[in-house]
Amino acid sequence: MRIACPYCGPRGVDEFSYLGDATLKRPDPAAENADAAFHAYVYLRDNPAGPHRELWQHASGCQSWLVVTRDTRTHEISAVEYARDAAIASAGAE
Amino acid sequence: MAEPLVARSALRPHVAPLASPAGAPGVTLVEVENLSLAALAAFKGREAELTDAIRAAFGVELADGPKRVTANGVSFLGTGPGKWLAVGPAGTDFSTLPAAVTDQSDGRSVFRLSGPKARETLATLVQIDLHPRAFGPGSAAATHAASIAVQVSQLDDAPTYEIVCFRTFAATLWRWILDAGLSREISARHAG
Ligand SMILES: [Zn+2]
Repeated sequence: MRIACPYCGPRGVDEFSYLGDATLKRPDPAAENADAAFHAYVYLRDNPAGPHRELWQHASGCQSWLVVTRDTRTHEISAVEYARDAAIASAGAE
Repeated sequence: MAEPLVARSALRPHVAPLASPAGAPGVTLVEVENLSLAALAAFKGREAELTDAIRAAFGVELADGPKRVTANGVSFLGTGPGKWLAVGPAGTDFSTLPAAVTDQSDGRSVFRLSGPKARETLATLVQIDLHPRAFGPGSAAATHAASIAVQVSQLDDAPTYEIVCFRTFAATLWRWILDAGLSREISARHAG
């Protein structure tokens, strides 16, 4: 598998570290249901068969954090963005 | 009494053997010493200020990408978004640039690999595409060679490559390159 880093260009997957689901949002600790929300945030994961947005770091390259949209059935990658840009875009959408 | 600090190569003959081929070298490996190195990270939103300061101080037009730009003997290698490795002759002062500046002069070793077989020698060690179509003079890449973190850049069409690594790994990387070059008439010299 190769990931097209927006800075470095395409690189082998061995240069990247996987973190996991990029769609999770840290719950509000002051909310009434904070215990249940944090349990879900820390432990519960979907296991989708299909496109999945996930965090990777280009650890052996430019060290950027990336959001990679990967089809879990085929490893086909349809998008790679800087995690910072993705976070700003998602904050702006709220 | 404390010993004065003296800049010394990380290479010694017993850990980094020399090599000289019988005929014309296919590839030449040398260590570059007496350099000043610094890691630069632009402050958020102040990239233009850093670009202006580098233009004024060194006459270099900073590139935003995995490129190597050089003027007046001072080079800047793109290592990541908003990050560069600055390389100049010993004594070059990068500390006043408007960025997070971390001196690396005693932390890195710098090698140059050149000659007609330099590309195929380096290609045995890194996984990036070194074909001239993908990587040429002025290209730079942060990657790994034999699992050692390196900054690779190309200087000219000889081709000449510069390889920067943390100095703790210098002797190991040197031996990897030497092994790769032994079947390619490598000449390897260092002053350590
Ligand atoms: Zn990268």
